[in-house]
Amino acid sequence: MRIIAGLLLLLISAAGSARPVSYVGGWTLIEESNRQSTAALIHYTPSPSWSLGLRSEWVRDEDYAITSLQPTYLLKRWFGQDYQANIYLQGGIGLASGTSGNPLSSTTAAYAGVIADWETRRFFLGYNARYVDAGHFGDNAMQLVRVGWAPYEGDTQDLHTWLMLEVDHRPESKDPVSVTPLLRFFRGPALLEVGFNIVDPTPLLNFTYRF
Amino acid sequence: MNMMSRFLMALLFLLLSTAVWSQHEHGQAHEHEHEQSVSENTADAASVTPATGRLTTTPEIEAALANGGTAVVADVLGVVCDFCAVAMNKIFGKQEEVAAVYVDLDTKALNLVFKPGASLDDEAIAALAVQAGYRISAVHRNAAVLGS
Repeated sequence: MRIIAGLLLLLISAAGSARPVSYVGGWTLIEESNRQSTAALIHYTPSPSWSLGLRSEWVRDEDYAITSLQPTYLLKRWFGQDYQANIYLQGGIGLASGTSGNPLSSTTAAYAGVIADWETRRFFLGYNARYVDAGHFGDNAMQLVRVGWAPYEGDTQDLHTWLMLEVDHRPESKDPVSVTPLLRFFRGPALLEVGFNIVDPTPLLNFTYRF
Repeated sequence: MNMMSRFLMALLFLLLSTAVWSQHEHGQAHEHEHEQSVSENTADAASVTPATGRLTTTPEIEAALANGGTAVVADVLGVVCDFCAVAMNKIFGKQEEVAAVYVDLDTKALNLVFKPGASLDDEAIAALAVQAGYRISAVHRNAAVLGS
């Protein structure tokens, strides 16, 4: 049952590691699945500095899901000839509901977070932190750092490949710190990330598509 | 542990395969100048030296030029990935003045060919780049754009 629900969420598509604010008028479909949750997000960018999305996240071990409206604000972007760096503020408010027979009633949930990244065509450094308050379903916090290296510089419309390492910290987890090596493949409007958590054995699967 | 080893081997295989596939398998043939900027560490537009100022050609750009269009090359800050190129292509491709557009990650340049008799001024190009999420550091309109 959980697998089917997870696949459904994946098909709907989910949540993000690549730029959370797109070009003006652009839509982005994001799927994210990690050791804690599986999420789907679709967002629209009405301005260069913010986007608004609808996100659905299933917290698998805790048997609840949050459906929320998620605004993201680009606080600051730095440009260089060979790099770009960004700081985003992200929040969300919605409804948390039990899954897999969880008898708890639905309740309001909210979260807030920050995303920062610095990227060239060969190197990537990213940080993401988020706090979630899901009422009687509980609260949780997480932060993660990701470093990446591209073995070659792909040009426009080439397949871009990245080797990445993600270290996440989830204080409430039985393994508070875990490590996920992953591969990122990137071409045109599509991005796919495939990895495996080597501390808390779980696959990581992220997908982003812009249109 | 066995499962993890198999998974890592599969990832390694994928990586090696894609590195081979990716060697310039462009859908469109284009020429790269591959010149490096002199100013690698600058953070703002005012102090950045233009990347090349030369037009990168694609079949669409050649066709637009053959049709009588005029070319412009704009140096762009912050274009480091294909999402950047997609954003610029979407924003500029929607403009009725534009006949062909191509973002070259190697030269960090936005290549535009306008329809015959049409054009966008530097300010309009800069404003559209902001809508795509990027910043223009220089616009080249002289004959050097075409390498002449």
